[in-house]
Amino acid sequence: MSESFAVDVQGVEKRFGGIKALDGVTLQVRKGEIYGLLGPNGAGKTTLIRAIVGLVAPDAGTVTVLGRKLPNLDVLRDVGYMTQQAALYPGLSVEENLRFFAAIYGVEDGVQAALELVDLDKRKDSVVATISGGMRQRCSLAVALVHRPHLLLLDEPTVGVDPQLRVQFWDYFRRMADSGTTIIVSSHVMDEAERCQRLGLIQYGRLLAEGSPADIRAQAGTQNLEAAFLALAGEKEA
Amino acid sequence: MSVHRVAAITRRLLQGFRRDRRTVALLFVAPIVILGLLGYLMRGSSVPAVGVINQDQGPLGAVVADSLQHSSLVSASAISVTDGDSKLKDGSLVAYVVFPPGFSQSAQSRVIAPEVHVEGTQPSAVAPVLAALQQALASAASRAPGAIRFAPKVTYLYAGAGLDSLDYFGAAAIGLIVFFLVFVITIVSFLNERSQGTLERLMASPLRRGEIVLGYMIGFTVLALIQAVEVLVFCLGVLKVHNDGNVFLIFLIEALMAIVAVNLGIFLSMFARTEFQAVQFIPLVIVPQFLLSGILFPVSSEPSLLQPVSNVLPLTYAVNALRDVMLKGADLSSSSLLLDIGVVTGFVVLLIAAGTATLRRRIA
Repeated sequence: MSESFAVDVQGVEKRFGGIKALDGVTLQVRKGEIYGLLGPNGAGKTTLIRAIVGLVAPDAGTVTVLGRKLPNLDVLRDVGYMTQQAALYPGLSVEENLRFFAAIYGVEDGVQAALELVDLDKRKDSVVATISGGMRQRCSLAVALVHRPHLLLLDEPTVGVDPQLRVQFWDYFRRMADSGTTIIVSSHVMDEAERCQRLGLIQYGRLLAEGSPADIRAQAGTQNLEAAFLALAGEKEA
Repeated sequence: MSVHRVAAITRRLLQGFRRDRRTVALLFVAPIVILGLLGYLMRGSSVPAVGVINQDQGPLGAVVADSLQHSSLVSASAISVTDGDSKLKDGSLVAYVVFPPGFSQSAQSRVIAPEVHVEGTQPSAVAPVLAALQQALASAASRAPGAIRFAPKVTYLYAGAGLDSLDYFGAAAIGLIVFFLVFVITIVSFLNERSQGTLERLMASPLRRGEIVLGYMIGFTVLALIQAVEVLVFCLGVLKVHNDGNVFLIFLIEALMAIVAVNLGIFLSMFARTEFQAVQFIPLVIVPQFLLSGILFPVSSEPSLLQPVSNVLPLTYAVNALRDVMLKGADLSSSSLLLDIGVVTGFVVLLIAAGTATLRRRIA
């Protein structure tokens, strides 16, 4: 049954000390869709993404990625992960960073395509320490997709990115989804949420609501997502 | 200049330290530990052990031997004629003194010529032995009238009279320099890997932990070996540090030390959150090793409480091995050298396991 889902999370719980970061999260992401994880800071979005990429071991529940139950090292070959921070080697050039990660995944021929996708082809020889934050973010995205993953996990990829670049990023995501890549993207920016096919609202480590942006609005009986989010979050808290 | 603004900077600085308890602890604990260790080593170290062989047919040999055994400069004891060289070799004696059969007789002719056999690799060990001997002779000679010339015949088991302090310390320093610099570079690089988020990225890839550790190890070992070539060429070519051994053996030991340092760096990087804290490992990890590894004070003369500590430090074995090769010309047929190399290799295995274990994640 989980064959039709790219990601199948069942009842995942995770505690850090006394804090429940994930409190029984169940969600399924279909193949080829852009799924938005929406929630305030500290809601558990990053922990959930890290659980899907195998960096966090759940205290309870299971995570199945691309039909394989974690922990599974091989499945990571088909997963791309972009962290909040542009995790790159500052002393290497853009291209050298890409070549390094491509070599780790054993797909060195993907470098040029990744450079072109994020429009860094002309700046590929620039050393990462010397380029702008926006370019670094683009390079970080290129690293996450250099091995042409079937599943791409993006943890707040547009934080600190100007509106122009943000539009560009969503254009990249769209193109990737169209070519069959499943994308899970976390955000707390509501206008980004509108661009996702489905949304999961997370707060206090729980999934509050799930559905298309239109579904969510209807559920809350509001005109826009921001109001819907606040209404749904407030409801659960009360 | 505003007093207010200056005070703000000062206050900010102290506030930051208040939360970094580790730095504060280090600031006040490290000096006491280091100075205490140094003091204990210098005051508590035993005096050199000297053997005495008295073959004198006359009375003088026995008198001098007795006086020597009461000397505070050395710890002298009578040994049998055949034991001398083997006790120098195993390190239980720094030197032994022989009063030949005609010792008393030659004193009649106003020349006192005892034979002094020294181990030879440690130039500074000869002086106290000769001083003690001279004192012992002086007290014996005070009974005889007239001037007596003191002409000891010094024989070296290894190396020779040409050896100076640089030869002794230089051999050990080759190991220390490689160990120290490789450790610092690794711990900072690995900490960067953690703090800039690239380690997280690597962990989310199909890389295995062993592959990360091995890749790091090879990379830094290559760097360390290039450095080792430079250090060695400089020591042997420019400083003319004494070397009786095989240069490739010196390399082998240096390579092992580099690998120990890399893995120690990876392992300890887990316990530091900032580069600042990583640098703090230098007084904790490097300085005690420097003091206790026998570089300055031979382990055998250390206070007995510290000897077990010295015996669990990898650098102790590396220093010993380097001196064996360079000053004594030891090769792989030497069981002492093989033991040292074996122990250092054991540390390598242990630290690879520890370094790999610190890269914890859910998936293998």
